Amino acid sequence: MPPAAPRSGDAIFASVERVNAELFTLTYGAIVRQLLTDLEEVEEVNKQLDQMGYNIGIRLIDEFLAKSNVSRCVDFKETAEMIAKVGFKMFLGVTASVMNWDADGTCCSIVLEDNPLVDFVELPDTCQGLYYCNILSGVIRGALEMVAMKTEVTWIRDMLRGDDAYELQVKLLKQVPEEYPYKDDE
Amino acid sequence: MIGTGKIKQYANVLDKPLGKGKQEVPSLSLASLFVSLSAFAFLFSELVQYNQTQVDNISELETRLEDAGYAVGARVLELLCHRDKGNRRETRLLGILSFVHSTVWKVLFGKVADSLEKGTEHEDEYMISEKELLVNRFISIPKDMGTFHCGAFVAGIVKGVLENAGFPAVVTAHFVPVEGQQRPRTTILIKFAEEVVCLGVG
Amino acid sequence: MAAIYSLYIINKSGGLIFYKDYGSKGRMDTNDSLRVASLWHSMHAISQQLSPTTGCSGIELLEADTFDLHCFQSLTGTKFFVVCEPGTQHMEALLKVVYELYTDYVLKNPFYEMEMPIRCELFDINLTQAVQKDRVVLLGR
Repeated sequence: MPPAAPRSGDAIFASVERVNAELFTLTYGAIVRQLLTDLEEVEEVNKQLDQMGYNIGIRLIDEFLAKSNVSRCVDFKETAEMIAKVGFKMFLGVTASVMNWDADGTCCSIVLEDNPLVDFVELPDTCQGLYYCNILSGVIRGALEMVAMKTEVTWIRDMLRGDDAYELQVKLLKQVPEEYPYKDDE
Repeated sequence: MIGTGKIKQYANVLDKPLGKGKQEVPSLSLASLFVSLSAFAFLFSELVQYNQTQVDNISELETRLEDAGYAVGARVLELLCHRDKGNRRETRLLGILSFVHSTVWKVLFGKVADSLEKGTEHEDEYMISEKELLVNRFISIPKDMGTFHCGAFVAGIVKGVLENAGFPAVVTAHFVPVEGQQRPRTTILIKFAEEVVCLGVG
Repeated sequence: MAAIYSLYIINKSGGLIFYKDYGSKGRMDTNDSLRVASLWHSMHAISQQLSPTTGCSGIELLEADTFDLHCFQSLTGTKFFVVCEPGTQHMEALLKVVYELYTDYVLKNPFYEMEMPIRCELFDINLTQAVQKDRVVLLGR
């Protein structure tokens, strides 16, 4: 049976059930507030947000695969494009762009102009050093790990810190090869 | 603490057409007005999972979810009041209940709640019911968690709205079995504080 | 009437996380199903090794005299397979539906631990509906 054609981010987003972004934004705000209360240290909150993102990413990837009909990506460049054009669109309703590729094609930036996590949020001075959207870096890292790619995801630009966009650097560290059971017999 | 800071101006969300795209609003560009239900569901699931690691029992878990919801409720009230500039503050009990059942529900969950009823046994009790809360759409509670309800989050939202509007109450979420239906429906039970009831329902 | 005999879901380590018997007349008990799942996991992996080229996605269809077996493996390594009457149509489509139900009612459940056996009421309810709908479609032809 020939595989179904891959679907565009717009097509998927139009076909799924959607909720008011405010519910999402406010719930995320409540989570960050909880973490700040529980953990107090901004650096701990950053770590916890990344971990929570990772926990989401390892589950979210299957929905991404199921709905997008994507087959195995040829290379990391294709992977990055899929995240930006399909992933962000089908879940968050926003389009991202990929840029700043390095010579190897293993490191790039994903840039978001719109970010539903941060509507009507302003960081007070007491939250210096907080990466408010750090959940996103974990989501990408977790999702990619489940399809055999180990990556490092870091923030380059953050609008809540005064920059003009949200920019995430995604660096491919290792492509984990498929493991066959019983391949290396005792 | 993170707050809404300077509340930004934008058009009433209820009037917006469904679907994608930015709305042109003076002085502020809006992100997409909608996200997928899945995005919210994953986020909510993680909220529940995180809180499970912070508690020793189910009752504490419900309390923490309620607290998280409370913060959302307080913000929603701020945002909605700011939007309807011409609207005077609600001073009547039935008015604020209707506000929660219709306006708040529509903004957060995309529809008005299934029903709003006054409790028959107690003067100070009201119930908002839903066949299924949006937050529970994909959640199956394990049998060994008894009466635990993730809707404690929604109960918290309602409490946050009511209390910040000047109507303190105890709000809880319950599963109510329905005859002939496999799945129970949910009731958000609102029990107003004495001082609210004494001021009169009118 | 074309029938579905059983449905299996295996996690990426080969552990059985879901098994539903629709009419194999109780020939398999719990231990059997666990063993079979683990063996299928290995066979599936071996089939990828047998391929003359890299990038083989493993066994998708197995035809025997008394049954067909259709298998779908997600890129995350989770396998969904169904044992059915020979010649049953639309099984790939059914497996795709089961995959989507898994992404909704299992993966979005905060009480579900990854890689563990699936015990989600909503998954069961929706799966039953999907399988029944499939049977109705088949009957209607």
